[in-house]
Formats: sequence, C-alpha cells, structure tokens
Amino acid sequence: MPSNWGYVFAAYGIAAVALLSYWRHLARRTHALAARRAAKPRAT
Amino acid sequence: MIRVLGWLAVLGLVAGLAAGFGYAPREAVQGNVQRIMYLHVPAVLTAYLAFALVLAGSIGYLATRRSGWDRLAAAAGEIGVLFTGLTIVSGSIWGKPTWGTWWTWDARLTSTAVLFCVYVGYLLLRSLIEDPEARARYAAVVGILGAVNIPIVHFSVKWWRALHQPSTILGPERSPIDPAIGLALFVNWVAFTLLFAYFLSRRMEIARLEEQT
Repeated sequence: MPSNWGYVFAAYGIAAVALLSYWRHLARRTHALAARRAAKPRAT
Repeated sequence: MIRVLGWLAVLGLVAGLAAGFGYAPREAVQGNVQRIMYLHVPAVLTAYLAFALVLAGSIGYLATRRSGWDRLAAAAGEIGVLFTGLTIVSGSIWGKPTWGTWWTWDARLTSTAVLFCVYVGYLLLRSLIEDPEARARYAAVVGILGAVNIPIVHFSVKWWRALHQPSTILGPERSPIDPAIGLALFVNWVAFTLLFAYFLSRRMEIARLEEQT
C-alpha cells in the first residue's frame, strides 16, 4: 500500500480551513454585535 | 468560561494531532491513509451529538416555549451541518485510495448525505421565517423529524449490504481496534467534543445577543 500522504494532508487541510473559517465567522458576528450595541443610544 | 473552553479545545486538537500522527502506528493494511480516521470518526460522532441536541432543544422548546431551547437547537444544528460536511468530505478523500472512488451510493454514504441535506433544510427554514415564535415552532418540528435519520445513518451498515465497513466503535461487539489506535481515536474524539462545546457556547451567546439587540 503506498503512503498516500497527499490524501491525508488534503483531508486535514480542508478540515482546518473549514473549522478556522467557522471560528472567524463567529468572531466577526460577535464583534459586529458588540459594535452595534455600543453605537446604539442608551435609553434614559 | 468560553475562552477557557476554547483553549482546552486547542490543547485537545494539538494532543489529537500528536496522537494521530506521532503515537498511533501505521496501519498494516491501509497504510498512512487510515490516519484520516482520527478526523472522520470524531467528526461524525460530533455531528450525532449536535443533532441529538437539536432534538433535545426542539422537544424542550415545544414543551416550555422558552427561547433558550430554540437557541440551543439552532446553534447545534448549524455546527452539526459543519461536522457532517467534514465527515462527508474526509470520508470521500479516504474512499478514493481505499475503495477506488470518491463517492458511491452506498447505504451509509447516501443516508449521511440525506442527513446533511435535512439539516441544511432546517437552517434554510430558520432563515426564511421572520417571526421568532413561528420560526422556533416550525424548526422544532423539523428538528424532531430530522433526528429519525440519525439511527438510520448509524445502523445502515447493518441493515443493508454496504461498501462502508460496519461500526468498529459504538457497535454491539467488543471493538477490534488496536489499543494505540483506539487511544488516538479517543483523544481526537475528546478534542472534537471540546471544540463543539466551544462553538456551541459562542453561537448560543451570539443568538442571545441578537435577540436583545
């Protein structure tokens, strides 16, 4: 059986990109929400 | 607390990579390509956990009408789709060198693809309904019906003749996996569960803030 490292790295690489992208997506949404809340005038 | 969970997940993933690539031996028949298992199996177990939480959140919402249950179901559904996607992609990459094909309409693969489509539909439904109460109610019904597919995916390799191998863990028989490979798999499963808990906490916090804004 050949080593097939290319397949292994492809699988782990795609997983890393997908998980990091989702983490960044969550971080961006959190920051956008925080900015929106900060910009909102407080009720008196 | 969420930050601590994040760092624990990072530590777990590093330990998982070390276990999968350093500690676990090269598999005798498949060679190094078997190391995809340390990604593929924890990903599907995490997806099962996520969809079980969608089911719990959906039942909880219909029983109590509390929005917290709906937030749990929505967050778990989104993350479950991510991990099911990873399961399908990693399985496809693993299939090419071992089965000679990227995809085949085998019972396990087909039922997993159906599972993926059902929960993508669940997320689409949520995005299409404006009214929060109606959205939560309709989504809860889909969340409960969609869970029927989880045992079908898991037992498909027993119920039908499949190219995919039968379950080597979560099966009725004692696992035939070598202890070193089993330990590497366990470490990666813990790491993925920690990562899931981190994503779920963050996603639920976002949903809570969105409701307040």
